[in-house]
Amino acid sequence: MNSLQDRLLAAHARGDRKALVDLYTEAADITDHLDTACFYMTHAYIFALELGDPAADALYHRLKAHGRV
Amino acid sequence: MAQHIAMNTLDAVRRPIETANGLPNAHYVDPAVFEVEKHAVLFANWSGLAVTADVPENGDAKPIEFLGIPLLLIRDQKGQVRVFQNICRHRGMILVSEPKKIEGAIRCPYHSWCYSTEGRLVSTPHVGGAGHNTHDAIDKSLLGLIEVRSHIWFETVFINVDGNAAPFEEIHAELIARWADFDQPMHHGGVDSTFMLPVKTNWKLAVENYCESYHLPWVHPGLNSYSRLEDHYNIDEKGKYSGQGTLVYRQLTGENGAVFPDFAGLDDKWTTGGEYITVYPNVLLGVQRDHTFVIVLEPVAQTQTREHIHLFYASPETETTLRTKNAAQWKDVFTEDVFVVEGMQKGRNAPAFDGGRFSPAMDGPTHCFHDWVAGKVADHIAAQ
Repeated sequence: MNSLQDRLLAAHARGDRKALVDLYTEAADITDHLDTACFYMTHAYIFALELGDPAADALYHRLKAHGRV
Repeated sequence: MAQHIAMNTLDAVRRPIETANGLPNAHYVDPAVFEVEKHAVLFANWSGLAVTADVPENGDAKPIEFLGIPLLLIRDQKGQVRVFQNICRHRGMILVSEPKKIEGAIRCPYHSWCYSTEGRLVSTPHVGGAGHNTHDAIDKSLLGLIEVRSHIWFETVFINVDGNAAPFEEIHAELIARWADFDQPMHHGGVDSTFMLPVKTNWKLAVENYCESYHLPWVHPGLNSYSRLEDHYNIDEKGKYSGQGTLVYRQLTGENGAVFPDFAGLDDKWTTGGEYITVYPNVLLGVQRDHTFVIVLEPVAQTQTREHIHLFYASPETETTLRTKNAAQWKDVFTEDVFVVEGMQKGRNAPAFDGGRFSPAMDGPTHCFHDWVAGKVADHIAAQ
């Protein structure tokens, strides 16, 4: 997880939003805690929305499945 | 604020040109009067903000401040040019701080509320708590970006800030009809066809100077060498618009006699004709057979204006050398006017100046503008 956190911080530092979509999705996928997963998924979704990344659709539906959008 | 403006001075402006005075000094130097005119003239009417070429592609967004209001000029994903107040509906944060391409959504840099380029609020992350992106109290359908009423004409973006003006096409119907020949595609010449002149003057003096041909032989002797004073005519449609026309427009020629292509299907009068008209309040337009121009006057303060000049052509492809030469020629002409508008501005600090008098023969277009401004200010005061 530290490694993922390092990669997240590095992606933030260089403003790499595509990487942020992927890394926050990864963070959501590896936690067993629903609220934590939805927190990370939200970040992935927002950066995907900003980018116009097609991943936004899937992330939206995952959040919707949990009543989070 | 209205106490700063004596109604009798407005009445004096609105008299017939033979006996009228111009707008008094306060309309050029007094910040309180500038504030009144901001509302009465610039917010209450269709003011020029930009040109469509400022956001040439879908998703292009450009923050623009207009008289202190943070605005966002954007071409949405369907190609429609829109103007929004450049703020998030959450905490009023500035959304876009520099020109950029919006690839998907406009994301507020503060709490990441996201808006579509059409202004719809599409996401409110964590608004219901961490990982909860909705809340019953936050109805996204009511919290879209605040759109400013806008209208595109002559590739120019006009805005009516207070939202109460009659439709643009109604107010400017006669001018639109007058220049119907030019209701056809106009292509911005690109980066070499735009420039900005910062001028230490009230924006109205730039209009006043532009409207009349009286000064041409004195201020633009080079222009007058082929386009003489007697070849010009006044355009003064009271309460509507004013400017000047020439009967001897001569095309710019490059090496080997190259010229710009003409706009299609023009009436014969444009073969040697050109017209230069102010769309009240702050947009100066020029039309000729082979190119047009737009000058958006940005009123910065009562003594400070930025002139944004853009040249347009009938074809998207024009010769670079000729286009550059044309831009340089116009820049020379407009720069020649700077000492005049700055000199008149300085002159407005002379306490005994009474707004000046007009030549009934030569200053009709300028008086027409004064009369329009005075009428708008008088209406504004009467409504308070």
